[in-house]
Amino acid sequence: MTAETIIQSLASGLLMGLLYGLIAVGLALIFGLMDVVNFAHGEFLMIAMYATFFLFAFFAIDPLLAAPLVAAALFVFGAVVYLLIVRFAVRAKANAGMVQIFSTFGLAIVMRGLAQFFFTPDYRSVTHSWLGGKTISLGGIFLPEPQLVGAAVSIAAFGGLYFFINRTDFGRALEATREDAGAVALVGIDKNRVFALGWGLGAALVGLAGAIMSIFFYIYPDVGASFALIAYVTVALGGFGSVFGAFAGGIIVGLVEATTAMILPPSLKSVGIYAVYLLVVFVRPRGLFGSI
Amino acid sequence: MTPLLETRGVWQRFGGLIANSDVSISVGRGEIVGLIGPNGAGKSTLFNLIAGVLPPTQGSIWFDGEDVTRLPAAERCQRGVGRTFQVVKSFETMSVIDNVIVGALVRNTVMRVARRKAHEVLEFCGLAARANVLASDLVPSEKRRLEVARALATEPKLLLLDEVLTGLTPVEAKTGVELVRKVRDTGVTVLMVEHVMEIVMPLVDRAIVLDLGKVLVEGKPTEVVRDPKVISAYLGDRHAVGA
Amino acid sequence: MDTDFAKRRRRDLIVAACLAVIAALVPLFVKDVYVQNIMVLTLMYAALSQSWNILSGYCGQISLGHALYFGLGAYTTTLLFTKFGVLPWFGMLGGGLISALIAMALGYPCFRLRGHYFVIATIVIAEIALLLIQNWDWAGAALGIDIPVRGDSWLKFQFTRSKLPYFYFALGLACVAWFVTWWLEDSKWGFWWRAVKDNPDAAESLGVVVFNSKMGAAAVSAFLTAVGGSFYAQFVSYIDPESVMGFQFSLLMALPAVVGGIGTLWGPMLGAVILIPLTELTRSFIGGSGRGVDLIVYGTLIVLISLARPQGLIGLFSPKRKEAMR
Repeated sequence: MTAETIIQSLASGLLMGLLYGLIAVGLALIFGLMDVVNFAHGEFLMIAMYATFFLFAFFAIDPLLAAPLVAAALFVFGAVVYLLIVRFAVRAKANAGMVQIFSTFGLAIVMRGLAQFFFTPDYRSVTHSWLGGKTISLGGIFLPEPQLVGAAVSIAAFGGLYFFINRTDFGRALEATREDAGAVALVGIDKNRVFALGWGLGAALVGLAGAIMSIFFYIYPDVGASFALIAYVTVALGGFGSVFGAFAGGIIVGLVEATTAMILPPSLKSVGIYAVYLLVVFVRPRGLFGSI
Repeated sequence: MTPLLETRGVWQRFGGLIANSDVSISVGRGEIVGLIGPNGAGKSTLFNLIAGVLPPTQGSIWFDGEDVTRLPAAERCQRGVGRTFQVVKSFETMSVIDNVIVGALVRNTVMRVARRKAHEVLEFCGLAARANVLASDLVPSEKRRLEVARALATEPKLLLLDEVLTGLTPVEAKTGVELVRKVRDTGVTVLMVEHVMEIVMPLVDRAIVLDLGKVLVEGKPTEVVRDPKVISAYLGDRHAVGA
Repeated sequence: MDTDFAKRRRRDLIVAACLAVIAALVPLFVKDVYVQNIMVLTLMYAALSQSWNILSGYCGQISLGHALYFGLGAYTTTLLFTKFGVLPWFGMLGGGLISALIAMALGYPCFRLRGHYFVIATIVIAEIALLLIQNWDWAGAALGIDIPVRGDSWLKFQFTRSKLPYFYFALGLACVAWFVTWWLEDSKWGFWWRAVKDNPDAAESLGVVVFNSKMGAAAVSAFLTAVGGSFYAQFVSYIDPESVMGFQFSLLMALPAVVGGIGTLWGPMLGAVILIPLTELTRSFIGGSGRGVDLIVYGTLIVLISLARPQGLIGLFSPKRKEAMR
């Protein structure tokens, strides 16, 4: 194991970590907004990947171009999920914990079932794309272009999110609703509208990640499951509800994954991340940057 | 005779806010002591400290001759501290009798015995007729009584009552006062936080007045209400008795 | 008042006994092996879900990692039998005890966690265990372990000619799980769990040590789940990490309780009787091309129940019960 391979590993880990952050930030946003964990988050990623795939397969649209389209579609999807399901789930008084967990969990299962049924369990992949399979060499380190662009998109997205939350009216409404959903109603802000848009935004971000990831990952009905766990770990690490935390958490997870892969056999790659999750929640239940 | 409850130099800080400042009070066995003071005086905080909801930033709390400062709420209950909550926390999904059984289980782990004890307590508190009603179906004054019944079922030596008489109609308040007296007559010491002076002063043996986190004055109710410091703390002559 | 309650308890017991007797007679009339198989699985999941219900329903700590205990039970019996010749009956006990201890050990750090953190922790822990076993050669790694079957034997708990013994064992397990729940319902544990689930602060003020109550629930739940896992290993005579510790088990243990009525005595039973045959039938009717249909059905059911009827379908059977469980 040379210094070069180590740096190579860590660099890839960093890039993947930024992508993990992008996947996770939607989760953090939704949780921060309304204290609900979207257990279908992985499936949101999955349909984003399938959408990108089909845009490629039927219309020969490159995933990079498809990304904004997919993000928009996911935005609508996220808002709809809120309006049709989550809105009712949060009103539950009996068995509230169970309802919140299983309502989105049930959705995740339905989505997986639908994907299996309509798309079959076959693995799909985007066979040619502008970035696919290409690498750039930076000072002797080979970085795959799709991941590089993914990382750049992630950074841009976080930047945009920061700007959006702190500088725009809607962003402030989002923050305000997060602080006190009851009070905002008095100021004339429709809580449901804010939540729906929050879900839409969270889903759109995952959509972006999914579109990029379809360039270099296989697409199949259960693909969301593994990334969902990574997303939960990322968000827990960074602190549920913290957007910046998701960013930092993602980077940490990416690096931990790369490090674990260097030390343990490849099939145990995830153990490192899972162990980190447990360590963090046991020792620092609020995560590294969380407020909840 | 050692006091049943003693707080020694208790301070409670929340970040920069000082909720209780050097509070040293004691409650003797068999007394009914009233803890009064204007809003923000630190009464609820002190209550929570005594009940074991959180440990004090500084100082110690002694119960029945034992230092219980580091003991959490459940263990304090096992030692004999019972409490009610200002905002009633009944087990809404359980029936009235079941609510009380939970309390009774501290001293009686055999179900049959706990159940019987619960029935007795309900009788004592006048809720026997509502035993099988779901707690969420009770009217507010009944819920208050349930709070007291539940705490009584734990066979406490000290009962902490958090504004149990506030917001009741005069008739309900009268029943409430009688219940508190009945409780003391069974040998339970009572420390009660209250706002409604007219009701509390005739009831308690001693009154402790808190203001801005500190103990202002303590003594017999009739003396305390005449104390000019107390009057100015409440900013009103309404509570001054006589002239 | 007392007698009303005591009457209901007695009624539950009598109904359970009758149902058990009826169930015991069914195999005498139903000889179709395929159907018998479904019945065995239904009873097993009824038992598993009932066990899950103790921790996640009554005690309110939702776990989606119970496959861990299921797998532990399966692996303990199998390893003890194949490597050391220990009879599965002892293996079952061993598996149960190990699981109970691990559940408590995990509970120590985990019970401090809030709801969603806890659920994710349970998923993660089960995944770690699965990955570890997949890489543990002595335990068969990913290839798993075959349990050598040499004819029928009650001692070795293996039967080749008929599913009936398995059926009766599963029925027994379901009865035990139900009975344990029934008994705990009117015990200090049952009251503690309900109080903690309803209002933990109030429970503490009444002397309930929340943590201890959760530990108790975890231990009992894990023990019974592990016994179920041991049974399953003997039933299928082959285990591998995915097939006994996979996430699908965690889900399948939770679903019947959620659909039937989480935190209720009969909910998991009802849920199992509805869901398991439903799954098997959809699978066989729609066949290979129907991949995912069972997921669609489960998923939709869970969403509908969560939103429209969180107290489960059991409420439909008794208005009084509906009142109390509201």
